[in-house]
Order: sequence, then structure tokens, then C-alpha cells
Amino acid sequence: MHSRETVGVVGAGSWGTTLAKIVAENGHEVVLWARRPELAAQLNAQRHNPQYLPQIALPAGVHATAEVQRVCETCRLLLVAVPSHGFRAVAREMAPFLDGEHVIVHTTKGLEEQTHKRMSEVLREETPVRKIGVLAGPNLAPELARGQPAGTLIASRFGDVFRRAQAALSTSYFRVFSGQDVIGAEIGGMFKNIVAVAAGIVDGLGLGDNTKAFLMTRGLNEMARLGVSMGANVLTFGGMAGIGDLVATCASPHSRNHQVGVRLGRGESLAEILGQTRMVAEGIRATRAVRAFAAQQRLQLPIVHALHRVLYEQTPLDEAMRELVAAQSGDEFMGLML
Amino acid sequence: MRSADRERVRVEVVHRVVDGYVRQARDASDGFLQRLVNDTLYQERRRLDQANPRSKRTKAELALYQDVQRRLHSAAETTVRALLEQLATRFVDEVIGNFDDRVYRLSTTLIPPGLSLLVNAMSPRRLLDLRRINRGLVDQLKVQGEVEQVRRLAQHGTVVVVPTHSSNLDSIVLGYAGYRIGLPPLLYGAGINLFSNPMISFFMHNLGAYKVDRKKTAKLYRAVLKEYTTCALELGYHQLFFPGGTRSRSGAIEQQLKKGLLGTVIRAYTNNLIAGREPARIYLAPCTISYKLVLEAEALIRSHLQETGKASYIVEDDEFSHPRRVLNFLFNLTSLDDEIAVTWSAPLDVFGNRVDADGNSLDPRGRVVDPRSYVTRDGVPYLDEQRDVEYTNELAEAVCGAYLRDNVVMSTHVVARAVFALLRRRNPTHDLYRLLQTGGDAPSFAMAEVHSEVERLLGELGREDVPRPRLSPLLLAGDVQEIVADALRHFAIYHTRPAAERRGDRLFHEHRNLLCYYGNRLEGYGLAAE
Repeated sequence: MHSRETVGVVGAGSWGTTLAKIVAENGHEVVLWARRPELAAQLNAQRHNPQYLPQIALPAGVHATAEVQRVCETCRLLLVAVPSHGFRAVAREMAPFLDGEHVIVHTTKGLEEQTHKRMSEVLREETPVRKIGVLAGPNLAPELARGQPAGTLIASRFGDVFRRAQAALSTSYFRVFSGQDVIGAEIGGMFKNIVAVAAGIVDGLGLGDNTKAFLMTRGLNEMARLGVSMGANVLTFGGMAGIGDLVATCASPHSRNHQVGVRLGRGESLAEILGQTRMVAEGIRATRAVRAFAAQQRLQLPIVHALHRVLYEQTPLDEAMRELVAAQSGDEFMGLML
Repeated sequence: MRSADRERVRVEVVHRVVDGYVRQARDASDGFLQRLVNDTLYQERRRLDQANPRSKRTKAELALYQDVQRRLHSAAETTVRALLEQLATRFVDEVIGNFDDRVYRLSTTLIPPGLSLLVNAMSPRRLLDLRRINRGLVDQLKVQGEVEQVRRLAQHGTVVVVPTHSSNLDSIVLGYAGYRIGLPPLLYGAGINLFSNPMISFFMHNLGAYKVDRKKTAKLYRAVLKEYTTCALELGYHQLFFPGGTRSRSGAIEQQLKKGLLGTVIRAYTNNLIAGREPARIYLAPCTISYKLVLEAEALIRSHLQETGKASYIVEDDEFSHPRRVLNFLFNLTSLDDEIAVTWSAPLDVFGNRVDADGNSLDPRGRVVDPRSYVTRDGVPYLDEQRDVEYTNELAEAVCGAYLRDNVVMSTHVVARAVFALLRRRNPTHDLYRLLQTGGDAPSFAMAEVHSEVERLLGELGREDVPRPRLSPLLLAGDVQEIVADALRHFAIYHTRPAAERRGDRLFHEHRNLLCYYGNRLEGYGLAAE
């Protein structure tokens, strides 16, 4: 009886715009929030997102706005797709217009830098909303925007969150799985960006598939150990939000994190690269946050450590690579066996 | 419970429980109700196997169950339903008991004299000492925290007091603390063993207690109990739950709560909204009871150590069943200061949100939020069991957080923890049980060592980055020598053997179980492992 509801999408980057398109194609009205009023006006007038998703036409059901109050008051189901560094500020802006009826599914991949908190924790701290979920999976925006088949995970402790988000998002080509492990989905989505930067470096250095598979597999292992230490279910990392997202992000030329890694591998400096892209490479920030968290918890995460040395400690690539490879041996699943 | 309500609740509980099962039966395989009745009979017979076969009650129960069993055999569905009703009715009758309205009304004005009655019932000859005990309780009981707000909320809505639980005296202490702050009487589910204790039974009735038999494990019984508390909440009866279920065996503050009972507050709230009963306000008042000495400490820690992990273990023969021990404990109370702290935490709504002075729910940043919105869709309230399980988990978290913040740490806790830490450090290879049994290599520690360990602990408890407990005035004053001396004075006066004892300039650990028990009160504060 509630299959058609007006859905809010908060954040009009490439992923937010893609989500808005999918939901609208599903027959729902969508209110899409963009921070900048110019962008909202452009979206409404030109029916596409000139900056982030230029080739894709927006369906008629998408209405852009720059008023956060409007999106919160019109919609009870909100999909939040803003970068992690702006997440708390957006949550704060929304909070006065939210109550217990609202359902928020966020798609943000990252940990808050100062606090090392997950985005669902930030939502709990800033808003009255309890029905919180996370969407994570191999979901590269440009491919989905073209309607290519893909799957994703929506994890929430509340069955209602899944049912409503699924009704909004599930299409003939976009298949939605359910789970309860919010922590696992958040950690998987966040950590794969770190591995993607590292995998990009491997590609940029011109190393082969063995090396990349080695790195990705150990990356998955680090992801799982970090997640389990925070209370995640290890199985989640074998699913959409774990290996699924990892494979897509580490392989795809669409992945910003991977691209940044490739350019680093070819010898460009981080400052140069970041100076030239408008999009956010979450893996760069996540490396710093996870590194600090792991140090605090005394967790050994060699890939994070090596990447941190490259990104923030001016360590030459070959030296960091040598250290990283030397650190890898021993019981493969140490720290994960039940 | 008023007698008019009692009859109404009796009918309503049976109706709801049976209807619930009949609905479930529609989606289940054939014979669901039959299996349910069978299961109830089986669990009850197992229980009765352990009961006194000569007691009148056991005989009556056995006869009833035999009769039901006979009729269940090849019964039609309507008959099965009737049998289910019969069993549920039997359970609800036992839970409600037979209160006398007049006694109940009287008791609401009689709580402190009730205490005298308790003592009177135990030992009429000591009547002369009653004044001393009453005065003792007045002096020794420190009621603090959000007293004013809790009292106000009881006028705005229904208050459910959810205290920590370490002693059977808790309900009495709370009854008295509630009276002192002007709280209306509370409905309270007391263990049935308290009713069979003649000296306390009368008193329990007067407190507004209903009966809970923890040995009854049948699902049907649990369902009846839950529905009874739900109905009573809907009718606006203030209640007292011990959400930890039983007394803390280990001595630690509860960090795991029984979700079944706690969840009834959300169900009752939603039921009231659906039925349009306004205002449907229900508030939780977490409350921490801290004792410098716990009456039943020895039996509790013994059972904790014996049965670690088995929640089903029920302590029956403890200090509480021995009138002399209770008296001894109460009289000793009067000779020392600052023995029991009852701390009222900031009240919560049924979803674990803080509430303001007028009873409005507040979001984490202190903005007013409509609590109805948590159970409505487009403004219409609805039931959703899975949703409410999650809300209950979140509520439990909020209550446990309040316990940790408002636990009052006293000299006995810090000193016991310090001595135990020294023991652990001295004997790193011993496991807990061996350490408790043998005491390790050294029977004593230098006083100086103990003092500096206490100092270290106090420093850790003052850290900013972890949840912090409240500290008793003595601990706040910070004179380590005085803190240790105070704890030792207490350890010496009541327990069969003192937990630790000073001889010359050395401290001997005498009763290590007790050291473990009192020291456990500091669990949950992220204290470095020594």
C-alpha cells in the first residue's frame, strides 16, 4: 500500500544523481537536494547533471531543490549520498526537520576523521532518526546510470528500512539484497576505497595480475579484520559490500580511487592529482582515519600502513612496496578464525 | 492493582495471549496449539518433579494438568483453545494473587512503618530497637540525582522505575526511597520465593507486588507475565522492573538486560496510541542502588562462580532467608555512615530518548521530538514486532549507559578491586578460580602497596576519555588512608569472614570471593587490566 512514496535523495553528485534516476524510473517522485542553488536550478532546467553525470538524462519525476527543509518535510525515505567529510554538517542541517518516522539510508563510504565514527553513528548522534540503513555494493555510478545489471546490499537492523528502500531502488537491472550487518556494510564500503588506491598504484607501476590479486586478497583480509574488531559479521565481507565492491572498484577505470592510485603509480604527486579533480577520492581520507584508528586499537593493517607512508609520509613507492610485501606471510586467516 | 482493574486485566490478558497464539497458529503447521498446550504441560510437570509432593498447591496443580492432558487427547480445535484459556487463566490468577484493596490503599501511606513491620515480623522482641533502625535508614539512605524530574513525570504520565539489582532489599529500599521523594506506589513483580517467606510475604503484598515464578519456564507463562505488565502499564500503573532479571551475581553493574520485560513499555505505549488513549506517556526512570555492603554478597558470588554463564540458576538459600542475617545487616547499617545511595538517572522515554522537565522527548542534540513518530507511518500508529525488538535493544543500551554513569563507587569497591588487582599481578599464571581458591603465593600485601594501588585506581576512575561513575563523598575527598580504613571497617562488621583484614602494616586477603564480588562493581569503566 506504500509502494509509491516520494523519496528524497540528499546530494547531487554522480552517485546521488544516479540514485535519483533509478528511483524515478521506478515510478516514484524524487526530491533531489543539491547544496548549490545554481546546480539545483540547472538540474531542473536542463534535466541532466552537467558537472557530475553529463550524458545521462533525468526522468521527469526528479525535482531538484537546494532547500534541505523541503526534502525532509516532503519525504520520509531519504537516501543520503554526500561525501564523508561533509556528512555531519549535512546531518545537522537536516536534523531539525526530521523525526522518528524518517528512514535514512546512507551510501557514504568513509569514517569521520577526527572521531573515527561510522556514518550511521554520526546520524544517531545528530538526528532523532532511528531507522537507519546503509547501501553498499559494486555500484559504479556511470554503469548504473546506463542501466547495466548490478547488485547491491542494504543493511539495517530494521526490516522496514530494507523493505522501503528496496521498493524504491530495486529495478529489473538493479538487484537489492538485504542484511542486518550495518557495521560490516559500512566498513566494506569504506575500506575498499583504500584497497582501490593501492591496486591503482600496482597498475600504475605496471605490475601484473598476480601482484594485484595478492594485494586485493590481503586487502579483503584487512577489511575483514578491521570490521570484525568493530563488531561486524565476517560473512558480510564475502558479499556485495565486501568482495563485490572491492572487485569492481579495484578494476574499474570509473573508480576515482583507482584512478588516483594509477596516477600515483606513474609518478605523479598526490598534490598534483588532487589539484586536478573535482570529485572526491574517499580512499585518501579513509587511509588517514583508518591508520589512526588502527594505531589506537593496536590492529596490524599493513596495506593501510604502507599506503599511509606513501600518501602522507613521502615514502618512495618502491620502498613502501618492499615493506608491504615483506610483511605478508604466516597464517592466512589469523585474527579471523572463530 | 485496584480490584476493578484486576478483573478487567485478568480477562484481557487471557484474551490477548490466547488470541495471539491462535493468530500464530493460522500461519503455522497443523497442531500448533496442541503442541503449545503439550509444551506447557511438559514444562510444568518437570517443574513439579522438583517441588514438594506433599504441598497442597503441588497436588492441585498436578491434578489440573492431568485433567488438561486427558482432555487434550484427540480434542477438537475449539477444545484445545479452551484448554489453552484454562491454563492461561490459571497462570494469570497466580500472578495477580489476591490483593485486598483496603490493604493496598493503606500500604501506600505506610511504607516506612512497613519497614518497621518487616522487622517486627522478624523479631517482635526487638521492637524497642525499631526506632533505631528507622532512624538508621533515614540517615543511611542517600537519595540523589534527578529526583525532582522523576516526581514531576509521575504526575504527567506512567513511570517505570528500572533499577540495578543486587539485593532482595532493593525493593524495600526503593519503596522507601520512592516514598521519600514523593513517588506514588509502584506495581512490582516479586519472585514467588519471597512470598513463601512468611516474614516478607505480607510486606510484599503491601508494596503492590504481583507474583513472578522464575521456575516456570513454559512459553505460555512468560507470555502471560508480559501481557500482564503491558496491560497494567496501559492502565497507568507505575511499575518497578528489575531489567537485569535477577540480582547481579558477579557484583557488576548490569550491562545485559532482559529484553522481554523491558519491551513491554514500547508495546504498551503503542497499544495506547492505537486505542487513542491520551496522553499515552510512559517514562523510564533508571535508578542505581549502590551499597557499601551487600546483604547476600557471599551467596551471590558463590553462585556466580559455580554457575558462570548459566542464567537459570536460582539462589534460594541465601542470607536473605535467614532472619538473623537480615537483622544483623540492618542493625549494622545504623552504626556506620553513608551506606546506601539511590541515584535517579535522567528519565527516558520508551525509546531511550532523554525527556525534559515537562516530559517532552528530546533528540540527541536536545531538540524536542514527537515520540509518537517512532511508531507511526503517515501519523498512524502501528505494531511491528521486529521494529520493537530493535527499539528495545536501543532502550536497553540507554538504560545501561545510565547505570554506568550513575553508579556510586564506594570505598569497599575500590579497595576490593585494588587488592584483587595486586593478587592478579602477583600471580600472573593463576587462573581466576585457582587464585580464588588458593590465594596465590602471598597471603598479604604491604599497606603501602595497597594505598598506592587505590590511588592509581582513583586516578583511572577520574579519566575523561571513558565513562565515569560517581564517587562517594569519601572517595571524592581522596584521602587514600581513610578510604582503605573505611572499607576495612565495613568488611569487618558483617560478612562471615572479612574480605580483607589489616594486621600491623600488612593487609591480608581473607575472603577472596568477596574481594572479587565488590571489585566487580568497577567493571565497564575500561580500567586498565592492572
